[in-house]
Amino acid sequence: MSTDTRQFGDLATQLVMESRRSSQTDALLKYNDSLVRSLLREQRDLERAAEALEAGMNEFQGPPPALLIIQTAISRNKRCLLAYHSHRIDRLRDLYWAVGGALPHILNNQDTRSKLSPHEVDYLRQYNSSVMEFRSEFSHELDITASITNAPKDLHVLVHVVRDCGVIQTELGSIDFQKGQRFMVRRADIEHLIVQGYLEEVS
Amino acid sequence: MSRSSVSAMDWEAQFKADTSTSIRSGKNGKSRTGALALDSDNEDQDITMASASESNSARARPVSVAPELYIQEDESPLSQLTKHWMNERHAPDILPAQEELLASLLDHIRRQSDAVQLLRGEPSASEEEHIRIMLVQMEVERVKFIVRSYVRTRLFKIEKFARFIMTDATIQTRITTAERAHASRHAHLTDRHFHNSVLQSLPETQSHLDDTPIFMPPMITKPDESRPVFVHALRDCPPIRFHEDLTLEMKHGHISLMPFSFIEQLLLRGYVELI
Repeated sequence: MSTDTRQFGDLATQLVMESRRSSQTDALLKYNDSLVRSLLREQRDLERAAEALEAGMNEFQGPPPALLIIQTAISRNKRCLLAYHSHRIDRLRDLYWAVGGALPHILNNQDTRSKLSPHEVDYLRQYNSSVMEFRSEFSHELDITASITNAPKDLHVLVHVVRDCGVIQTELGSIDFQKGQRFMVRRADIEHLIVQGYLEEVS
Repeated sequence: MSRSSVSAMDWEAQFKADTSTSIRSGKNGKSRTGALALDSDNEDQDITMASASESNSARARPVSVAPELYIQEDESPLSQLTKHWMNERHAPDILPAQEELLASLLDHIRRQSDAVQLLRGEPSASEEEHIRIMLVQMEVERVKFIVRSYVRTRLFKIEKFARFIMTDATIQTRITTAERAHASRHAHLTDRHFHNSVLQSLPETQSHLDDTPIFMPPMITKPDESRPVFVHALRDCPPIRFHEDLTLEMKHGHISLMPFSFIEQLLLRGYVELI
């Protein structure tokens, strides 16, 4: 209990506000561990308060009004906690698809990694393996994790190398993509590199 | 087709064999289209692709698009898939999986790609033949795009409704085995994440995911059947009854906006499509 004037649900409101800010700025915010922990603590305090009231409950009078308020606060806090986590994993899945299912690309990015809780890293790993399993259904024909934002209009594309990405196998043989170079390559071969930000399309 | 070298003959034979085994009957008779199986209905496909890539504008002016959207009875697998793809993208619920259609298209993609691989290595191919190979490749890429988008649209909904899918038997009949397996894994995964991050730290009485306190929305996300959708009638429809004395009879080509639940049956029977 940090301040005396805090009301039931203040912390939960803060948590939900974070989710909203994350949506509005379209960014993944850092996992707010301390706030989640203090909410969990509040839940335990509320539970104790509720138990105390229940113990002193008189059979003939029905539940005291305070108990109703505490129980409402408990359900609300719990729902807000779950909503916060659910919102975050939705964002993580968006992030995952935005880079074409390249999990290492997310996990090796220090900036993103620092914003995740350990459970979220686990979640992403398991989600990835689930998607990979689903993808294997189609593996003979196409890669379902490739981009679906724009329909392809050309077979080939002129790309500009933004970051070194080493030697890549393409149908023309292997190409060593080095920063600053330009290549005319088959779109299907390097699309994932555009998605992951190694290459940039020159329009 | 003036060339008569052996390689060119092989090529023709290869493609003819390819098309005749495909289910696109009725169009094989044409002389030139044999080689470009996926390409032969380029026209109506280009229209749908254009409206798909700018789906916003397509939605903004449904009336002007209407004439082109009408699809003939003997539509090709690709235009069927395009229709299912658009329906799927606009429907709030998960529509029945088109397993056979999808499998036949994937099969076709694979055979076309193999044929292209074979022919590209052919040294004696002429300029004209190379252009035709490129057209086929392009078409294959575009078909792949639609398949991918279709599969991903379903996947998105399946993840969203994963927990509902696990509790509801009717919706399970509309998805494929692979999709069901993914739904099950996803529901399980999400539950575990909630448990690890939140529920296990709460007191015992609060640590269940599926309690239903009053005045709270349920924990299981269900498809919102009442969401309004734009409907385009592909033929004259039986009257739709909204309530006691309000019915609507949609004529062929008619476009209307109404809640999804009212046209779900018509959609499944192919009387209407969503736009």
